[in-house]
Amino acid sequence: MCMGSKLTRIVFLSFLGACTLPAAAADPSGIQAGSWLAVEFPQDSPVLPVSFNLLGPANPRVRGASLAIDLHAALLLRNTGTKPVSGITLSVEAQGLAPSGKGSVTIPSLHIEPGEVFPVRVDMQLLRPFSAVRTDSGGAMVRVSLDCALFSDFSFYGPDKLGSRRALMVYELQARRDRRYLAALLESGKFTQIREELNFGLQDVAPQQLGLELLHPPTVISGREHAFNVGAVSFPSAPVQAMGGAAQVFQNEVRAPRVLVKNTSQKPVRTIDMGWIVRDDQGRDFVAGSVPAALELAPIQTARMAESGTLRFSRPTGQPMVIGALMAFISDVEFSDGKLWIPTRADIDEATTDPVLRRSLADSPEQQRLAEIYRRKGMSGLMDELRRTN
Amino acid sequence: MNSAARSDLHPGLDTLALYSRGDLPLAERWRIKRHVKRCTLCEHELLLFASAHAELKREASAQTLTGFEAIVDWLRLEREMLGNIGVGVAAARCIEKVGRTRVLVLRGLAIGGLLALFVAGWMTHIPLHETRQFAASLRRAAGLEQPPLSGTVLRATPDGITVRTQDATLKILHPASAVVSVSGSSAMAARYVDQETGQVTIANVYGQ
Repeated sequence: MCMGSKLTRIVFLSFLGACTLPAAAADPSGIQAGSWLAVEFPQDSPVLPVSFNLLGPANPRVRGASLAIDLHAALLLRNTGTKPVSGITLSVEAQGLAPSGKGSVTIPSLHIEPGEVFPVRVDMQLLRPFSAVRTDSGGAMVRVSLDCALFSDFSFYGPDKLGSRRALMVYELQARRDRRYLAALLESGKFTQIREELNFGLQDVAPQQLGLELLHPPTVISGREHAFNVGAVSFPSAPVQAMGGAAQVFQNEVRAPRVLVKNTSQKPVRTIDMGWIVRDDQGRDFVAGSVPAALELAPIQTARMAESGTLRFSRPTGQPMVIGALMAFISDVEFSDGKLWIPTRADIDEATTDPVLRRSLADSPEQQRLAEIYRRKGMSGLMDELRRTN
Repeated sequence: MNSAARSDLHPGLDTLALYSRGDLPLAERWRIKRHVKRCTLCEHELLLFASAHAELKREASAQTLTGFEAIVDWLRLEREMLGNIGVGVAAARCIEKVGRTRVLVLRGLAIGGLLALFVAGWMTHIPLHETRQFAASLRRAAGLEQPPLSGTVLRATPDGITVRTQDATLKILHPASAVVSVSGSSAMAARYVDQETGQVTIANVYGQ
């Protein structure tokens, strides 16, 4: 290690000493510790930081010509408003990264009454070239701020620069759907079905993992890429139906997928969230995720949804996952009046006969949270939680 | 005639033989000349040497004539000469071939040695990841691998999702049990249950 890097490390370690101290803020809307991390909330925010700690050493280390820093922050936030908080998204911005890249941490399925406090963990690693670190003009290296807080009546607060409001609303709708569904199973005494829904209380029964890589701008993958038909998985009650489409595919890469959609409802649509299912060469289906897109769609109107970028799939071990088939489904729809549609449990059951795919389609943050409660506390703990939240 | 029997004053027969052909140094020749003028015995020996030399010369001339007569058969001579030339050329080719093979072997050994030195130097001085990058570049050049795409890259690894730009790389960390998915046209998300708080946490990373 050269002398310069040693010196830089010493400087950063001295910063670390200041940062590991709990930062009790005089100004509740903003806290800053040393040069590492700043937490900034608007003065009138109904959710305000109470405190935050940097957990453990930041452990700056030299990696090539860059400095790598691990930051593990624990924030304690308080609901200072008058309505219960259902979900929150914090924006994470790092020096040298904005505006091209940023991160966020979302906590859905919250039930925070006014005056209550709740923790939020932010774990990250920042890598910066030495030259950039030395020329920084000051300020914290990482800035955490409020992007959106959703309340139980679906009102929200925050700048919503990341489109968090829509995502939080979908999570909340899914949570209410899943809680009602499980409560109904409990009331009717279908404990076997509940155990099956909640992975039998086993930790290792989880959706199959995928390795993903998203590349921008879109580039022609190879001269050998070929057009692939995109199939459609339909939910019966969906106000918008996917009619099929195409994508350019080469081995484990998908580029420029496009799907024809039709608004079958009587209401104009504002945005559509298109979900994607990838089938590998062994016939296994994976829900790769969903992509919301603004698409003004009048009743009975058809339009084509197209995505930019290139998506690369791999197995968790890193081996490329050869794509055998692609399918699209309408994950959720936002109407012009701001209301949202999500598939019901009956829709999901009717969409496919494949139990693994059905489980993937039904998987939601709330389902994951309730499965963890069932694993830890059993049926009685689940019943208590459903009573508390329903 | 035995030289031991001769007086020590007389020169030896070998000296007289050399003298008869004028092959002695100047001082020795002068001394023998003075002795021969006074010694009839040595003079006689000199005469015998001279006659023997004349006889030898005559016989040599006769033998030369005999050989010349023998090669009057020109056709035979031509065949012999052509045969000899052929043998010589074949021998030269054989020698040349042996030399060329040796040169090639030596050159091969030298190149192999340099190559081994290069490989050893590379292995001991170049880090493994750079070797892999170099190998990947070669594979891309050969069309065996897809080229990397420029622009913003979002990458999900078992411990986090990374967004990389020219000036910084940010990785939002998550446990290995997290479910990773695409959450936007340029966004990825990892969803997991925080074991300490019991809350579902969704870490999103965005690239423009």
